[in-house]
Amino acid sequence: MINFEKFELANGLKVIVHEDESTPLVAMNILYKVGARDEDPDQTGFAHLFEHLMFGGSINIPSYDEPLQKAGGENNAFTNNDFTNYYLTIPAANLETGFWLESDRMLSLAFTEKSLEVQRNVVIEEFRQRYLNQPYGDAWLKLRPLAYKVHPYQWATIGKEVAHIENASLQDVKNFFKKWYAPNNAILTLAGNCSVEKAKELCKKWFEPIPAVNLVDRNLPKEPIQTEMRRLEIKADVPSDQLYLAFHCCSRYDHDFYATDLLSDVLSRGKSSRLYQQLVKDKKLFTDIGAYMLGDLDDSLILIEGKISDGVSPKEAEDAVFDVIEELKKGISDKELEKIKNKAYSTLLFSEMSIANKALNLAYYEMLGDADLANQQEKIYNSIESSDILTIANTILTKENCSVLTYLSNHHA
Amino acid sequence: MLNRINAPELIIPGNLHITDAIVDKLSNGTPYITINSGTQEVIKIDLVFEAGSTYSTHPIIANTCNRLIEEGSGKFSSAEISEMLDQYGAYFVTEAGNEFATLSLYTTCKYILQTLPVLKTVLTEPTFASEEIETYKMQGKQQLAINLNKVDFLARRNFLNSIYGDNHPLGILSKMEDFDQLSKDVLLDFYHHNYRNKLRAVFVAGKLSSEHEIAIKSLIEDLKFNHSNSNNYSELNILNPKQTYINKKDSIQAAIRIGKKMFNRKHEDYYDFTILNTILGGYFGSRLMSNIREDKGFTYGIGSGLATDINDGYFFITTEVGANVANDALKEIYFEVERLQNEIVPEEELNLVKNYLFGSFQRSIDGVFALSDRHKTLHLNNLTSEHYLNYINRLKSITADDVRMCAQKHFEKSSFSEVVVGP
Repeated sequence: MINFEKFELANGLKVIVHEDESTPLVAMNILYKVGARDEDPDQTGFAHLFEHLMFGGSINIPSYDEPLQKAGGENNAFTNNDFTNYYLTIPAANLETGFWLESDRMLSLAFTEKSLEVQRNVVIEEFRQRYLNQPYGDAWLKLRPLAYKVHPYQWATIGKEVAHIENASLQDVKNFFKKWYAPNNAILTLAGNCSVEKAKELCKKWFEPIPAVNLVDRNLPKEPIQTEMRRLEIKADVPSDQLYLAFHCCSRYDHDFYATDLLSDVLSRGKSSRLYQQLVKDKKLFTDIGAYMLGDLDDSLILIEGKISDGVSPKEAEDAVFDVIEELKKGISDKELEKIKNKAYSTLLFSEMSIANKALNLAYYEMLGDADLANQQEKIYNSIESSDILTIANTILTKENCSVLTYLSNHHA
Repeated sequence: MLNRINAPELIIPGNLHITDAIVDKLSNGTPYITINSGTQEVIKIDLVFEAGSTYSTHPIIANTCNRLIEEGSGKFSSAEISEMLDQYGAYFVTEAGNEFATLSLYTTCKYILQTLPVLKTVLTEPTFASEEIETYKMQGKQQLAINLNKVDFLARRNFLNSIYGDNHPLGILSKMEDFDQLSKDVLLDFYHHNYRNKLRAVFVAGKLSSEHEIAIKSLIEDLKFNHSNSNNYSELNILNPKQTYINKKDSIQAAIRIGKKMFNRKHEDYYDFTILNTILGGYFGSRLMSNIREDKGFTYGIGSGLATDINDGYFFITTEVGANVANDALKEIYFEVERLQNEIVPEEELNLVKNYLFGSFQRSIDGVFALSDRHKTLHLNNLTSEHYLNYINRLKSITADDVRMCAQKHFEKSSFSEVVVGP
């Protein structure tokens, strides 16, 4: 349970405050509702590149990091397909420094050629380090365009290709900022040693003068229903075979999200889960296997990914996964249902151990519609019945709805 | 009109408050350390054993024993053990290091009484069934094969090998044949010597009711494990620094590791070196990051650190850079290392780092589990809270001259080993 108060500034910035006097720190989280799905198909990787530029100095302050570190603070940020999140923690006495820095970069950035050039290089190295220079690192770059033909989830947050990042111009960057970085497209949360009164006073001072913008409607194309299985085989210089199965499923906003999430838990949450026990422990067809739901804001995916044991054919491994799925469709016991609900409950508790995580959780649920959803998750998960999960399983865990990506190792050469 | 140019006035950090742990002893003398606080209804129990790799003939034995202890015990199969924990949303985390091995139970307050018996069977009667060992071998071999394709993995292991050598647990280069040493007998033997007879300490943290406290303590008393506080360490021969280049064809990045054997928390230079390391590569605004990432754009990330054990420690600089700029990056790394020996750190930068480290320490004790981990570090090192308080005092008193002297003493280029893995 996270207690909080919520208010909105005249410019549309939503603010949520969770006061906790037991810590000497405050966590400040700003979520901007813009992600990779908002990119032009010819300029992908932009939301993420932009996140890097947010640290390159703002309109009145040449450096973001230095003054923050001087105040004893630390920060980071991440971008995904749907949103971009910036967070910092700082000793409570210096909280105003956080307001000063975050409000100035919401107002406007410095936009220098030097900063753009350096961050282009940094992001290209990130692209290489995490996606190109790792065994199986490019799985998502291949899987997304296989599963999505129309919707912008067909590219990864890092971008479709390095060239898109190389070609980003300063004007593109400015346009992106003007379109998305505004108080009425953001959620600010504070968690820690900060009273609501103090938060109101500082918000009024630093954030309220920032003008709102006219937000454009997204109008993203809806991904058509997939009607037959899609396959991609990659022969790569990797030591063993890997299998990825992606099934289309509902969005995070849909009530079916909860049953779908529990479905992925039945498959793979914990070592006692079906996939791990049957395919790793009993049949030894995989050395590891897992399933998870992405939980995107638009129609999303359930993923099953596994490392195939040496000497087992990818076909045999894949068939075995579908056997587990078919068996699941026959029924889930009450005990199994209780188990995955207890897991969901404990996962939620363990995710709220630090003020930084509490701040992020509140912002995330506010983005979904109401910060109080953070406190309702247990109740909602508990209301799901096994028949709900089976209905979802029967609808989405089908071959027609599946995209299969297989890495074939050099043993097959 | 709001002044957005000037920073709000800073409050220079004052004194630090570290919540005390309750230090108690079991009847056999084992330290039993509790932190009862927190906002969430959760509990963590850590049992620490003298069962790290220095206690085994080969690290793979200590690591595997630790990993497989939860894979079946008494009359329960591995599947049943997992099932009993998953049923209540609880889980184990196992960790084996150089000196210690830990088994931790994470559980919700609501179900702790249901999960404690699982902890007990796992600790007292692990089976190490052959089938589990075979599964683990398959997993381990495949993971090793994958890791051997990663430049950062290759750089790390070869770096440790160059400073510790082939005979030290940290320096051994693991290979496929190592897995052949594993058998039920070997693991049971290690378990009996190093778990049942070498319980070092127990740490309990979370929102504990008195009923929980009594249940946990009586369970651990009931184990009847022997306590040990030994020191299984012999001084190493320091190897001559060397430079290693490993060819990884077609790699588009090169991984770099540079560093040397260093010292532990008890060394007189520990605090100064921690501050020096932060300036060089220990935070986002560090000199290595500012130069090699933020100015040159050679890398996604670069950093340095001091890894400490109970008796020992090593210093390292690590990065992955574009293959075409590997030599330029090396030049810049040494440039920054030498600059700290030759030039005084500007007052402004030193103050920034001091304040940053103060805030950073506060962050490191945020949340009851984090706080418990700090107390664990103190306790296992036979240190008291003084250690952290002295650190905060040193942050206040250290001068730019002290930093340079520390760099001159420890950053001699010829004392560093260097590993580059690239095309």
